[in-house]
Amino acid sequence: MLVFLLRRFLNSIPTLILASMLIFFVIQLAPGDFLTPARLNPAISPQQLENLRRSFGLDQPPVIQYFTWIKNVVQGDLGLSFQYQQPVLAIAWPRILNSLYLVALYLVLFYAIAIPLGVYGAVKQYTLGDKISSGVMYFLLGFPSFFLALIVLYGIVQLRFATGWAIPTGGMTSDNYSTLGTFGRFWDIFKHILLPALVVAVGDVAGFTRILRGQMLEYLRADFVRTARSKGASEFIVIYKHTLRNAIIPFVAGLGGQLPALISGAGFVEVVFAYPGITPMLLDSINARDLYLIAGFNILTVALLIIGNAISDILLSVVDPRIRYS
Amino acid sequence: MKKFLMFAALTLGAASAAPFVYPAAWFADPASQAKSGGEVRGTTLSDYKTLNPFTSAEANSLPQLMGDLTAGLFQQDPTSGDFIPFMAAAMPTVSNGGKRFTVKLRPDMKFSDGQPITADDWVTTYKIDVDDKVGSNARDSFFLNEKPITVKKIDATTLQFDFPAVSASAYSIMSYAPWPDHVFGPVYAKSGAEGIKAMWGISADPKTIVSPGAWVITSYQPGQRVVLKKNTYYGQWVHDSAGKPLPYLDTYSIRIVKDLNADLAAYLSGQTDVYAPTKADDLAQIKKAIDGGNLKSVLVPNVSPNSTSSWIVFNWNKSDDLFKQKIFREAKFRQAMSHIANREGMIQLALGGLGTPVYTSTYPVFKNYQFADTPKFEYNLAAASKLLSDIGFKKKNAAGYLVDASGKELSFTLATNSGNTVREQLGSIFRDEAKKVGVKVNFTPIDFNNLVDQLTSKGANRPFDAILLGLSGGTNIWPYGNNVVPCGTNLHSYNAPANGACLTPQETLMTKLYYQGDQTLDVAARQKIGQQLSKVEGQLQPVIYLVGTNFHVTYTNRLGGEFKRNLWDAYYGTRPGVFVTTYIK
Repeated sequence: MLVFLLRRFLNSIPTLILASMLIFFVIQLAPGDFLTPARLNPAISPQQLENLRRSFGLDQPPVIQYFTWIKNVVQGDLGLSFQYQQPVLAIAWPRILNSLYLVALYLVLFYAIAIPLGVYGAVKQYTLGDKISSGVMYFLLGFPSFFLALIVLYGIVQLRFATGWAIPTGGMTSDNYSTLGTFGRFWDIFKHILLPALVVAVGDVAGFTRILRGQMLEYLRADFVRTARSKGASEFIVIYKHTLRNAIIPFVAGLGGQLPALISGAGFVEVVFAYPGITPMLLDSINARDLYLIAGFNILTVALLIIGNAISDILLSVVDPRIRYS
Repeated sequence: MKKFLMFAALTLGAASAAPFVYPAAWFADPASQAKSGGEVRGTTLSDYKTLNPFTSAEANSLPQLMGDLTAGLFQQDPTSGDFIPFMAAAMPTVSNGGKRFTVKLRPDMKFSDGQPITADDWVTTYKIDVDDKVGSNARDSFFLNEKPITVKKIDATTLQFDFPAVSASAYSIMSYAPWPDHVFGPVYAKSGAEGIKAMWGISADPKTIVSPGAWVITSYQPGQRVVLKKNTYYGQWVHDSAGKPLPYLDTYSIRIVKDLNADLAAYLSGQTDVYAPTKADDLAQIKKAIDGGNLKSVLVPNVSPNSTSSWIVFNWNKSDDLFKQKIFREAKFRQAMSHIANREGMIQLALGGLGTPVYTSTYPVFKNYQFADTPKFEYNLAAASKLLSDIGFKKKNAAGYLVDASGKELSFTLATNSGNTVREQLGSIFRDEAKKVGVKVNFTPIDFNNLVDQLTSKGANRPFDAILLGLSGGTNIWPYGNNVVPCGTNLHSYNAPANGACLTPQETLMTKLYYQGDQTLDVAARQKIGQQLSKVEGQLQPVIYLVGTNFHVTYTNRLGGEFKRNLWDAYYGTRPGVFVTTYIK
């Protein structure tokens, strides 16, 4: 196992280098730079633009900029954000934490909805319940989550008008957050993230449920399931221990992809719900061509992807007895 | 006798050691109605980037809110546009032919940490701002034609400003916020620009932040919320007309809301007190909520035009296409293009009926710089056809487009930045109207950064035909762009040869008039020059101005302390400073 992990680590070095180059130069390929909008500001003179360009290091050729950056990255410094004039990690980290809360609840909701629904669809194939859930899933599959979020937002405002309930329309905390106790704070954040997390979860459930249902159906007809039944195992054990454990293997293999997803936040739903996650900030920085913030965050994501894949390989060996690393 | 008068003036100056009093005449309601305490809840669409006043680059930044918007030597009186002393004790003594200003400071002013505000603070702020290694956006404001303005301390309460030339903007230049010398001075002396740049980042401890103005930050949660508390020392020198210290409010909290829909939702559901509506749809929703009794708010649409406009500029430097270069340089051609611009249609279709036609570079909100004798080329297709035929486009080809005597078709490419739906609609309307008179416009939205590269390129052959874009900002003091009007400046985008020379006598005249007005301290004389400049500009039509958006106001009924209704506009806003006189009813 240790040898396997070491090999994985060594293999990941060229991947990271290549990824860092791609990230850096793809951003550079786009026309203009951080200071382009300033050129349309009638109050900034060309000399001052030159000063800023020099102080941001934008007057250097991209290759030199890359090597300076990568040298700093190796030493654990992801660079300085142009907009904030602060280290990238100091800017991104609080946002990543915020996104983690939201994504954690999303994952709980996601699996809590998707697994039972998938199992139900397979066990009760072609019943009315299965047809309804399939129908709803198909509908949701074609629905972009930000649009769903907009509809939910509209619904909240109307509900507030109708009932006067203080349902939060966005953000992560209430105005009086700082005066609350520990439980109060937990509850306050929960109230704020429940709806956005649900919106993302509901939007994503469809695909997962469909595949899980198919997997379950396949294994329900397998010999070992029949054997288990004939041994007199209870239906619950048959379904959840024998069938589901096998049906879930492809998803465990894909878990590695979830780790970067954890810090990448909930996408446009964060924007619509004015949630202070990582996505609104990344969109801003892409818009502003904040080179090091974009590159720094992306390199972090790539690193997590590599780590995540290693973890999912380990998990796979736990779940699937056919896989052993030795 | 002269000496005696001088002495009298000085003692008078000292006798006015009173607080600044917001005149009762500015406000809708008497100051006696105001209550102290409470909180105003606002929003902002973009995250705050820094607390450092020297590296801050965005509009509506926190340093601006704590500083320039509520502190400064002078401020403009919205009833007259005149500058009045604010942190200055009185109007300055002007000498050296209008180039030297000696300013007495109002006594007893303190920073939010209780330290006195003295001449040193203005001098240190100036020193750091002009250091090009700091990269302050305010640097340029301390230079006139690349010659520096100097700021000197005479004594603890007296400042002396020396301008290299007389400047119309002298009072606004002097009105920058003083940042604390006792905080920044020692760092600057020890570690220079690098030390300054490392200070007051967005994650700095709010306890270390010192404000000269009405508000000081107490907490900041990234991407979520900023809470500002009133600077209690501010009320020692800023009063209302009833003698009460300002600001009335205890707290000003700002939610950071990335999305306009979420911003509107928060306002509609009563979670915020102010909202800046821009779209017809927003206004309709707010009106519906007010009419339905769900929202208790004031809503005033179309208060005034905004200081912004969209325009089309033609490239005079096209040495690779002499046919186009010739027509783009033809004033009659550009006048025809102005006639083609269906500004009313643009307002109805692209701005939802909420906009104002614009004909010159001075935005209509600057009422003191709109002149009856400025030529306007209003929407008139027949007049456009006449002008085009004057310059040789008399016949149409088989495709229905105008051709010159040699059969060359009148066509050009108009670019704007993709993704800006309003500009994309303005461009389409222009293209469709142009087609009616036989002008072929290939309208193509392209990437913003590419567009800016094209617009700001220099040389004999620049890579575009025409660009549709917008600019905004400026003041009503001398509302002609300092790097737009004079030849050779950065945004003089219609004619930008490598050497920056003017091409036409009108351009030369405009450049001359621009500097002349910019160096005129007397308001009436300056307006006269502006009138001449507008006339030349209107005739030359170097840029075809199209339309600007309007300023709309809405706030909840909880709030009082706003200007009289007739003083509201996009330039002065609806209340002085940032909620300085606002109270909760």
